[in-house]
Amino acid sequence: MTLKRLAMAVLAALLFAPLATQAAEIEIEVWAPADENERYRFVAISLAANVLNEELKIEGSDTRVVVKEGTSFGGSQGWAQLKQGFSLAVEAGKGPHIIVGGHEDIPVWGSAGLIYPIEDYIDLEAWPFSDLFPSLWPIMSWNGQVWGIPQDAESRPFFAWNPHLKAIGYSDADIAALPAKVKSGQYTLQNVLEDAKKIQDKGLVEKGYGFYPRATKGGDYWQFYAVQKGGDMYDAKSGKLILDKGALLAYYQFFNDAVFKYGVTKKNHLGMDWDQWYNEVATGKAGLWHGGTWHYARYTRREGLDDFFDKVMFSLIPSGGSGGKATTLTHPLTYLISKRAKGEEVELAARLITIASEPRLNTLHAIASAHLGITNAQTKVSQYADDRWTAEATVLLKSAFALPNSVDFGQYDTLVWKGLTAAWSGDLSPQQAVDTVVKEMQATMGDKVIIR
Amino acid sequence: MRGIRRFLPALFMLPASLSVTLFFVIPVFMTFVFSFTTMSSDTGILGSRYIVSEATIRTLKDGDLDAALVRQLDSRVFAVNEAGLAALRKSNLKPTVVKEIEEKLSGKVYASEKQLFAALKGLSNRPRSFKDRKMVSKAVVQTLKNREFTTPKEFRAGLASIGIEVTDDVFDVLLEVANTSWKWTTGNYSELMASDFTWKILANTAFYVVLTLFFNVGLALVLALVTFYMPSGQSKFFRAVWLIPRVSPSVIYIMLWRWLSFDGGFMSYILGFFGVQPENWLNEFPWTFVIMANGFVGASMGMIIFASAVVAIPADVLHAAEVDGAYPWQQVRRIILPLMAWPILFITTYQTLSLMTSFEYILLLTDGGPGFFTTEVWALNAYHTALSNYYGNLRYGFGATLAVVLVAVGIAMSLIYLRLFDFKKLVAEPQIEN
Repeated sequence: MTLKRLAMAVLAALLFAPLATQAAEIEIEVWAPADENERYRFVAISLAANVLNEELKIEGSDTRVVVKEGTSFGGSQGWAQLKQGFSLAVEAGKGPHIIVGGHEDIPVWGSAGLIYPIEDYIDLEAWPFSDLFPSLWPIMSWNGQVWGIPQDAESRPFFAWNPHLKAIGYSDADIAALPAKVKSGQYTLQNVLEDAKKIQDKGLVEKGYGFYPRATKGGDYWQFYAVQKGGDMYDAKSGKLILDKGALLAYYQFFNDAVFKYGVTKKNHLGMDWDQWYNEVATGKAGLWHGGTWHYARYTRREGLDDFFDKVMFSLIPSGGSGGKATTLTHPLTYLISKRAKGEEVELAARLITIASEPRLNTLHAIASAHLGITNAQTKVSQYADDRWTAEATVLLKSAFALPNSVDFGQYDTLVWKGLTAAWSGDLSPQQAVDTVVKEMQATMGDKVIIR
Repeated sequence: MRGIRRFLPALFMLPASLSVTLFFVIPVFMTFVFSFTTMSSDTGILGSRYIVSEATIRTLKDGDLDAALVRQLDSRVFAVNEAGLAALRKSNLKPTVVKEIEEKLSGKVYASEKQLFAALKGLSNRPRSFKDRKMVSKAVVQTLKNREFTTPKEFRAGLASIGIEVTDDVFDVLLEVANTSWKWTTGNYSELMASDFTWKILANTAFYVVLTLFFNVGLALVLALVTFYMPSGQSKFFRAVWLIPRVSPSVIYIMLWRWLSFDGGFMSYILGFFGVQPENWLNEFPWTFVIMANGFVGASMGMIIFASAVVAIPADVLHAAEVDGAYPWQQVRRIILPLMAWPILFITTYQTLSLMTSFEYILLLTDGGPGFFTTEVWALNAYHTALSNYYGNLRYGFGATLAVVLVAVGIAMSLIYLRLFDFKKLVAEPQIEN
């Protein structure tokens, strides 16, 4: 009996041994911030692995790639967790081979030596990168090198509820002309407050729902600084961040006015529940608001807003007034290769990213999550071109700006954000908030920021 | 036998001393060391790196180094020379490819990688893949830019490879600027002193600790005494109910508080009947919620200790008091409380120290907001600084500085408590038995 078993074992070993040595499987782990609509941040890489394995077969290579979908970071703490988790994991020799980060992670992780400059591993002159929207390259660059490949693009539009606009005297033609008026600077943030007040005074929405901004902290709020006169954030020549006191004051003043002068925004708005927020803006409980291109997916699916284009107007964020300009924030996520990858893994990761950036594959994410594409060719892929939202919203990208890639951005952003919350709640007047931010920035960040 | 006996006390102490060393002394010492570094998520933790990047060049241009040297450091040319060709011969490029490069491109110099690649694409036996072209580029590039060196020696060799020889003084300057890893500094402590928010956060911490302490020690005492005077069955039930905050997972416990306080929540709903507008009550009264959420958790712990301490008081003492006509309040004030000094000291000390370092309920509830550090306490600030930033800028060194201050205050507080409650007298031999 025992002998028989032994013989079987030997036979089995002989049979399977050649199979085991034939193909070397290399596992590539991916981390991404992804909710249910954003699964294609992972799936695109898994699909790319199928193609890559076929390519490797043709090349006569024994290597095969297996993609492991690692942690997806969701929820309000998701971003901070992703960044903390990645920094600590890679320092400890663990973590993913490919991470989908924000473009602003490039300087921090690049400086710490946690990621490879992608230009060393991917031919950026070759397809599909030869066709990438040119405006995306600077956003992927830091310190003179290109570090990442855009995973998506987006913009963060300004929205208004059309029925309410009509109720305060806008005709259909006026509404249709509004995005252009915003872009040319005829319709400003001042008009936003006035219209919000009219909507509220007519009893169309509850008090504090006239202008209904994003529920929690986010890069979106920098838009209200960027639309002001002098609202620059970065000096490319010196590589330093800029804080413009005038623009900062106008930015704080706008939210302070919205709460105290016009009463169209709630004093305790920030930190509210996102589910409640989405539901309210998608059902006409708010007058004017701002969000992101991906909100479209949420409004039309989970919140059941069927006739989005009839009900909702979208445009750039209106200018802050004379000297300012209408704009919108684009915050492309980016595929980065981490130093967890060694030798052949780096090259395989680079090839996976290249294939996942193919127009058809990237379009899956664009449509599923209502983000924007990354290449010109994508706008001609039927699934993309036929989708009214992506087709129309891609136009906003031309007037978009991005957050600066600077190692000091996080610290700078934290202070400016705290200033906003203080001016918003009325703890400090806008001027006091500006003074506090400036003083604290000078004390703790020294000459890393140009304050003017 | 006698020998063993002499070492027995030390042996008994060994596990405790080991854990104190491992989990207190060493971490505190390391935190102290880290507090004198610029360590952050952009310097990395391990290893040193020297890189001449665009930022390095910018810094050098602002300094007083020789302009020609800086230009040389900034230069990046691709020269197909003998050294480069030798490297290519050793690589796994096909010999025919290397041979054609040698024949047609030898001696040529290109100003950019793009130009080099264009020249390579003109060859018949050309490197076909991007990887191979990169290999050629790496072999012939004459530059220091964006190359990574891990030791000063390597960095010096790198300088020599592009023909730069410098004096030790200049080398030290270059090394300092090119070093992207963390450095020693006392700047964290001066930054702490310079920030206005240091005092605000310190005051917040004191406010939070004192108020929560009063709330939870007071409530614990009340609960222990009230349940003491209740029939046994009822008292057990009430104590069990008061334990719920302690045993529920913090995230769920805080979710209930949030659900209670947000504009669509329970409080707004109830107040709606009285014509009060729905509000995000948490933002309106952040401290009240922070103190209550923490206080209820702490109270249950104190309640258990106090309840058992009350029961431990000899019943005849209380009976005698009752015979003498003492009301329950008088019994509490004159007999129970004095006899409970020891557990009260223990709970107060324990709660002070744990409140000072605990932050998870505040993190989940208000995250230190709203506004400028409104409910940010010291421990939470250390966490935010070192481990949680929306844009990933984690400042380990500065966070360690904050932690060091916390340890110092903690030790000072323990000493003060021991003095205040006259620890020696409390652990003295009971006089009644002498």
